[in-house]
Amino acid sequence: MAAPGASSPASSKAHGRRTWVLGLLLGLLGLGVLISPLLGTVAISPETVLRILFHQASGGALFSDPCAGASVPASGCAGLIEIVWDARLSEVMLAVVVGAGLGISGGTLQGVFRNPLADPFLLGISSGGTLGAAVVVVFQIDVAQQNLLLPLFAFIGAIATSVVILAAARSRFGSVETLLLTGVALSSFLSSILSLLLLYNPTGSLQVDFWLLGNLGSLDWTQDGIAFGVVLVAGTLLATHGRELNLLQLGPDVAQSLGVDSRKIRVRLLLLASVTTAAAVAFTGIIGFVGLVSPHVVRRVAGSDYRLVLPGAALVGGGFLLAARDLSLVAFPGTLLPIGIFTSFAGAPFFAYLLYRRRQSSTMGGT
Amino acid sequence: MTGPDDSALRLRGVTVRFGPRTALQDVHLEVPRGQFVALAGPNGSGKTTLLRAALGFLVPDAGSVELFGSDVLGLTVAERARRVAWVPQEENPRDDAPLLDYVLYGRYAHLGWLQGESARDREAALDALAAVGLADRARDGILSVSGGEKQRAILARALVQEAPLVLLDEPTSHLDIAHQLDLLSRVRDLARERTVTVVAALHDLNLAARFADRIVILSRGRRVADGSPAEVLSEELLARVWGVVADLRRDPRTGAPYLLPHHLVAPATTGPTPFLGKGPVHVVGGGGSGAVYMRALSEAGYRVTAGALHLLDSDLETAENLGAPSAVEVPFAPIGEEVRGKLRILLEGATAIVVAPFPVGPSNLPNLEEVLRQLGRVPVLLVRRPEAESWDFTGGRARQVEEELRRGGAREVAGATEMLAALASAPVLVATQ
Repeated sequence: MAAPGASSPASSKAHGRRTWVLGLLLGLLGLGVLISPLLGTVAISPETVLRILFHQASGGALFSDPCAGASVPASGCAGLIEIVWDARLSEVMLAVVVGAGLGISGGTLQGVFRNPLADPFLLGISSGGTLGAAVVVVFQIDVAQQNLLLPLFAFIGAIATSVVILAAARSRFGSVETLLLTGVALSSFLSSILSLLLLYNPTGSLQVDFWLLGNLGSLDWTQDGIAFGVVLVAGTLLATHGRELNLLQLGPDVAQSLGVDSRKIRVRLLLLASVTTAAAVAFTGIIGFVGLVSPHVVRRVAGSDYRLVLPGAALVGGGFLLAARDLSLVAFPGTLLPIGIFTSFAGAPFFAYLLYRRRQSSTMGGT
Repeated sequence: MTGPDDSALRLRGVTVRFGPRTALQDVHLEVPRGQFVALAGPNGSGKTTLLRAALGFLVPDAGSVELFGSDVLGLTVAERARRVAWVPQEENPRDDAPLLDYVLYGRYAHLGWLQGESARDREAALDALAAVGLADRARDGILSVSGGEKQRAILARALVQEAPLVLLDEPTSHLDIAHQLDLLSRVRDLARERTVTVVAALHDLNLAARFADRIVILSRGRRVADGSPAEVLSEELLARVWGVVADLRRDPRTGAPYLLPHHLVAPATTGPTPFLGKGPVHVVGGGGSGAVYMRALSEAGYRVTAGALHLLDSDLETAENLGAPSAVEVPFAPIGEEVRGKLRILLEGATAIVVAPFPVGPSNLPNLEEVLRQLGRVPVLLVRRPEAESWDFTGGRARQVEEELRRGGAREVAGATEMLAALASAPVLVATQ
């Protein structure tokens, strides 16, 4: 008998490559998290920012006076710490969490539907979430608690919509067309309700628009924590289903003959992806293209094994959204541009490229 | 009668309906452990449905299916996967994966949640790859190997599943004759070595007779014959179930019966499966020249007939794959009177005739001569021959006939696309009985 390592060169090599790629992506993302707080609407020297970060992270042990040598505003060093730690870093972390959630959901949906153009909003999350958010804005529900209530309603709206679509399409489940058409029908139905709401309450439309464009600003650690918790739990569960997704790519029948309960697994994955997406965007609003593009980046670099694509897409998605935040700050210094505009700006051409590539390969391989 | 413990697969009065169509009608079947059973029957006779019922993919309208004594629908999906493995007719992976990973998919039902493949699993996968002759291909991608290798990799995947029952659905339908023989002998040997029960739907009765211990014939959803190849295969059965006249011979070396199909019992009127489509269009070809036109016609929705072709001609294989009734002559013999008569029946039933650029010798010259007789009755399309190619081996007689065809109104077309366009614009395309 040969040693296990020697007897399986292909698999162990693939496994090594997997670890290597994920490690690299994780490293890049960590670097991004460290660098990104340097950028913001207020000018603070990089040195001061880094000192504040290490000071806070170490619980005050390092750099006892992090603001030394910096031009301190009226609020003193505490003011700078608030800007760097509470505003910038929480924004950075949210970008990572939301991007990761969208990336892994996108990878999951592309796998479940066996369609490279599927994205996390395929199941009506966008229209449902918007309506939920609009209800809070328009009816002025508990204004004091709006920072948490709006995301809660958006989350509920989004999840409810996905569940309705899944349930409605269940009788003929497996047909992507049925799901898509149910989604389109329900989405336009919800949009009409939204339009009606905003028609009679025009003051709310600006806030709803803002939600639709997606933004990372004006958040705090509580919101970060909630988003992080939900995305981490649901995302981790998703990431454990790479093997099942690999098998589902062979078709539901083959997967089932190999022991995957195709029907059950697909519903489970779609529900988990919906929860992840809804939690990710509840605080930020709709952020397009991250979920669509990230899995493809991983496939390009490291192949289509879903055990790698799912965690990889999470890391790439986090990095993508973080980069979008940084770029928008560099390109439009001093303004708080809705981040969704930026991701769409970068993502749309990529989407077109994918469509083009796909058409090309299908005409080459087709009859 | 075998006891319950000895049976790998048992169907009790299974009936499956798809809307108004009955795919299986009250089928009883018992497969004891260790047997290699071939499931044969015309297209649409219920072979695939039977296998799908055995896999628990569908719920019968009546009756039940048991795997090793347990109702298949009472087992979880993973329990089923540990009892029965499946080699589908065709599998089209979208994503590339090394063959080793592809084979390791077969271990899924044996692994716990989050449990990675162990060294033992990888060893089993490598053993399975070696067993199907792909030991040195473990790192190659599934999308880069040939059709035959892919089918063997799928067989290896079924092996590492370590299920005591393996179901194969037309595993050889996309393989050439050498790979068909190779795959089936591997299946038989593996079945013997590993004492695995095999049920394989097979189109080719000769392959079934050669490899299987037992042949079960399905026709229109019913089990119409069952027994050893020698018991089951008969000229009468071929005529009754397939509507084909054939000679039954015996392989001098293996002793297995084999069939030489001649022609349909009643070609134009009662085919084994009524086909609703345009045409029929008759393709005269040979030596592989007609394949592309037969496929193009079939894909465009035409019913196709072919011939006269010699047995072993690749055009005949294509015609059979397309379900095209053909006039068939034994290899290397000139087209005889009987086959010529059969060709005439097909030509008379056709609404158009396509002459592929086939090499013409004395043995197949009658093909052109028969087409000439049809001139004026239906449109005749001549596919243009390449300039430099020599094709006339009759000393000029073939050229003469072609010239007569051309003068008599046969239209020349440059390829399959032009052929389809010409057919679409042809005036008469209604079958005349």
